[in-house]
Amino acid sequence: MPSAGSSAALSLRGLSKTFGSTLAVDRLDLEVPRGSFFGFVGPNGAGKTTTLSMATGLLRPDTGTAHIMGHDVWSDTVRAKQLVGILPDGLRLFDRLTGLQLICYSGLLRGMDRDTVAERAHELLGALGLDQEAGTLVVDYSAGMTKKISLACALIHAPRLLVLDEPFESVDPISTSTIRQILEGYAASGGTVILSSHVMDLVQRLCDRVAIVAQGRIRAAGTLEEVRSGMTLEERFVQLIGGQTNVGEGLAWLRSSSG
Amino acid sequence: MVALIVGLKWQLLKNGLRRSTPALVGLILGGLYGLGVLAVAVSGLIALRLAAPGEARNVVVIGGSLLMLGWAIFPVVAYGIDETLDPSRFATFAVPRRQLVPGLLVSSLVSIPAAVTVILGLATVITWSRSVLAILVAPVAAAVAVLTCVALSRVTSTAFSAMSRHRRGREAVSVLVLLLAAGFGVVGSSVMKRLSAPDLVSQVAAVLGWTPFGLAWSAPAEIAQGAIWSGLLRLALAVIVLLAALLAWDFLLRGALENPLGASGGGRSTRDTGLGWFGRMPATPAGAVAARSITSWLRDPRYISSVALMLLLPLGLLLPQLSGGSDLWSLAMAPTAGFLLGWSMHNDIAYDGTAFWAHVATGVSGRADRLGRLAPTAMAASVLLPGYASLGCALTGRWSLWPALFGVGLGFLLTGFGVASVMSALKPYPVPGPGENPFAAPPGSSALTVVVQAIAGTAVFLLNLPLLVIASGALMGHTWMGWLGLGLALCLGSAALVLGTWWGARIYERRTPELLADLTRIR
Repeated sequence: MPSAGSSAALSLRGLSKTFGSTLAVDRLDLEVPRGSFFGFVGPNGAGKTTTLSMATGLLRPDTGTAHIMGHDVWSDTVRAKQLVGILPDGLRLFDRLTGLQLICYSGLLRGMDRDTVAERAHELLGALGLDQEAGTLVVDYSAGMTKKISLACALIHAPRLLVLDEPFESVDPISTSTIRQILEGYAASGGTVILSSHVMDLVQRLCDRVAIVAQGRIRAAGTLEEVRSGMTLEERFVQLIGGQTNVGEGLAWLRSSSG
Repeated sequence: MVALIVGLKWQLLKNGLRRSTPALVGLILGGLYGLGVLAVAVSGLIALRLAAPGEARNVVVIGGSLLMLGWAIFPVVAYGIDETLDPSRFATFAVPRRQLVPGLLVSSLVSIPAAVTVILGLATVITWSRSVLAILVAPVAAAVAVLTCVALSRVTSTAFSAMSRHRRGREAVSVLVLLLAAGFGVVGSSVMKRLSAPDLVSQVAAVLGWTPFGLAWSAPAEIAQGAIWSGLLRLALAVIVLLAALLAWDFLLRGALENPLGASGGGRSTRDTGLGWFGRMPATPAGAVAARSITSWLRDPRYISSVALMLLLPLGLLLPQLSGGSDLWSLAMAPTAGFLLGWSMHNDIAYDGTAFWAHVATGVSGRADRLGRLAPTAMAASVLLPGYASLGCALTGRWSLWPALFGVGLGFLLTGFGVASVMSALKPYPVPGPGENPFAAPPGSSALTVVVQAIAGTAVFLLNLPLLVIASGALMGHTWMGWLGLGLALCLGSAALVLGTWWGARIYERRTPELLADLTRIR
């Protein structure tokens, strides 16, 4: 049934998740329009990873619904999963495979034919600058290479929506720029990207829409201009979340001016 | 500095006990068992005071040498278990090495194995309290022996931790040592049984007494037997061995402290530019899962060591025959292999760890996941089952039993697959993570592990009960019953496989996100 969410790439309604006695996500609503480059920002422990996991079918919510392109993630699972490519944070990979094998595995698991998978895998390795390392085991990859190979796994089936949890964490500037270019090209051709990040500058430069989340709830969401309302995203973020202001006043012994 | 490091070790030991009540209970039970063994050993050593000096020497020198050898190789098998005082962790503190070496050595004595070794060393003093000189030499020799044990284990663990920067090297050595130990156990026990002639034991003890592992233990024995100069010479040599071990350790420690992260990126791993098994298996989701499983079985030491055990355990059934007993045991090889191969898959999903998210994210069907995972063991079984069945027949000369042996093996394998397909979707239990020591049991997991293993094992056994009855008919000489058993195994096994994978697939599809949550929790 095409619902109100069918126009949105991702639509979350009243999502909640409790772990033990901690409420990780609290009746969260979020609408990500198609074709947007969406930044999902928040302090540590705000519920970003939990929300994105529930939105992509990795974690079953206690209450609420998630729709991808109008398909319910928890009842129309197969169709919804075909439309989305994900890069989770903090989960392992099958790291005894070579980079090439890992990408092909993602494609073959989705039932794609081998020739298409192999051709796309080689193209992706080339675009990500990993063709020299195609035959190296993923366990021997650096952090940046691991993020890039995960991105390739998320892209192999040409998804309409990309959900990336911390895609730039511990990635060097050169790999960051490669990943950025690929994502910008993907978005320019009509794809939708959702990414979570701690780096406000990067989100401000990349994304056209943002949501600020804290304690499991959305604090602000909309276009980048609406949310930052004249300030930089970082200033707005600190203002909303309430950062510490008088940092370092007591640490007199740390100042070396007297010496 | 020594006091500070020893205090740190003591604190770590105490905090280790503070974790949880079940862990503490387990430790106390294990401790009581250990105390029992220790009490037996100590009273044995005291009793040896009354035995003939030659006999006492044989026991003390052989036992002591094995103990010291154990200290030397234990860190290789047990890497990742006790890294509490990994020397490279001191690299960022400006501690001079001259203070660090004695500190780490003395802190190594603050551990349960060291306490046991000290007590055993003290007990040998009683064993040798036969003359004044022996009473004087024995405590010195025991102290040298205990310190050498600890120093040797530090040498191995430091050398090993330097090597462990290279993943492949560490994994290879660890699997190799396991195989050597298992092989030594198999060969050693049968040799010991056949050749337990007393003169041979004396010869072994005499040779060991001159090796670095036996010098310190044999010194007081020589003196008690009246060979004073030989005893003093051995004591001097034992002290030299201890000093050499300390020097070697100091040398290795310099490397660990000056280059705490090791030279990374040196050894290139597999360069395999093709698709490997992904090019050989059918290009379907089930084929992909199969190719991934096979690749992991070939490259991940956790699987390699379990394959090695599955190969070796059935061979262990040859022991009774080798040591002159009944040859009937060798007939059990194929059934045992079938049982182990099928049953061992009941926790396969846990070895994926959180990498399992790839299956969740791609929405792969339960059937493809269940069937694909069986591929590596099915391939191994296609060689091992006929092989072990033939070996059993050849050793007993009863080829008419082949269909029965192969049939029971096949029945166990296929029903095992069926049961495992259901169990692994229901309740994964903790296993060592990828890259961790394959022999380390994750703490606090034992109850769940035992229950799941017992349920899976009992289910497989009960399902095969009719098959076992028929096969025993074949054993009594009714050849036709062997063929009947093979036919029944095919029918029963296929039914169990089809039903098990179907049911397992349904559970899998209902519980996919919960499985990932389980795997995240038990990681």
